[in-house]
Amino acid sequence: MSALIHTPLFGLLLTIGAYRFAIWLYQRSNQFPLLHPFLVAMVPVISILMLLDISYQEYMQQTQLLQFLLGPATVALAWPLFRQLTHIKAIGPHILIAVVIGGTLAAVIAVALAWWLGAPDAVLGSLAPKSITTPIALELVKFTDGYGPLAAGAVAITGIVGVLVAPLIFRLLRITDDRIRGLTLGIIAHAIGTSRAFEFSERAGAFSSLALGLTGLFTALALPLAWSWVWG
Amino acid sequence: MLDGLLLLLLFQFLGEMLVTLTGLPIPGPVAGMVLLLIALTARSNVLQRIAPAANLLISNLVLLFFPIGVGIVLEWERYEAYGLALFMSVVVGTIIAMILVALLLKWLLRHNVA
Repeated sequence: MSALIHTPLFGLLLTIGAYRFAIWLYQRSNQFPLLHPFLVAMVPVISILMLLDISYQEYMQQTQLLQFLLGPATVALAWPLFRQLTHIKAIGPHILIAVVIGGTLAAVIAVALAWWLGAPDAVLGSLAPKSITTPIALELVKFTDGYGPLAAGAVAITGIVGVLVAPLIFRLLRITDDRIRGLTLGIIAHAIGTSRAFEFSERAGAFSSLALGLTGLFTALALPLAWSWVWG
Repeated sequence: MLDGLLLLLLFQFLGEMLVTLTGLPIPGPVAGMVLLLIALTARSNVLQRIAPAANLLISNLVLLFFPIGVGIVLEWERYEAYGLALFMSVVVGTIIAMILVALLLKWLLRHNVA
């Protein structure tokens, strides 16, 4: 009987079950940012792993199937990006300038603050891709010698913080243009920000999807080069 | 769904091949994403078969990276010493970057009426 808990079947059942519950709660709460599924699903999974004394390494092995799918999921990001490409034609150069400067700012500010407070290189490498979508960020930490778990956590919390402060920032800066709202959320807060952008309007959501895809692509192309140049 | 999965795996494989052959410093799946994007602009009628599989994966991204993310709690002692740096970077850094990007966009689009 106890052999059963040491199988991929158990790990996947636990993970997908906890995730399903977390999604349900998130929908019921009208997508309240602090009840994001990433945070909520942690509670049952971590409690049960600790209760049954299953190590993190063993749990990672049990759930290898899910991690494998991050590869195809990254490739799949080409689809929404392709569908949003038409928006580029309207205000194209402006979007590209914002993505390049914004994506760079997000990474540089994150790394500079942590560096100033004495974080070591591996932590800086985990924080650099924090404003882009997780599957790409997890690929990039292989180039920056960062920690996967820290990168995944930093990305998720960045998205949640972004969604929490965005309405306030837009009000203070008197930003009512849904294109700007969407692009800002997509550049800084990736997919979590994009789902919030859709609550502003369909248009904000479309621009956010575009920014999310372009920022991920730009950072994926630029970060490994920049990293080897600065730290190499 | 099956066609979509097949195409995604194929493009990931092509991306990995491109990176291995050229030594480009980018992740294989990202190269695969770029190749798929280029292919889509050329043959979108065939390749839109990826939509069901792509949408399923993208709408459940949290599930896919969740097991890795659990490590931030289970291995917290590894990161504990840098708690303040992490907080400043992830919370304060995000707020600063968001303000700057919003201002930048406001300036860039000042003559471009919605």
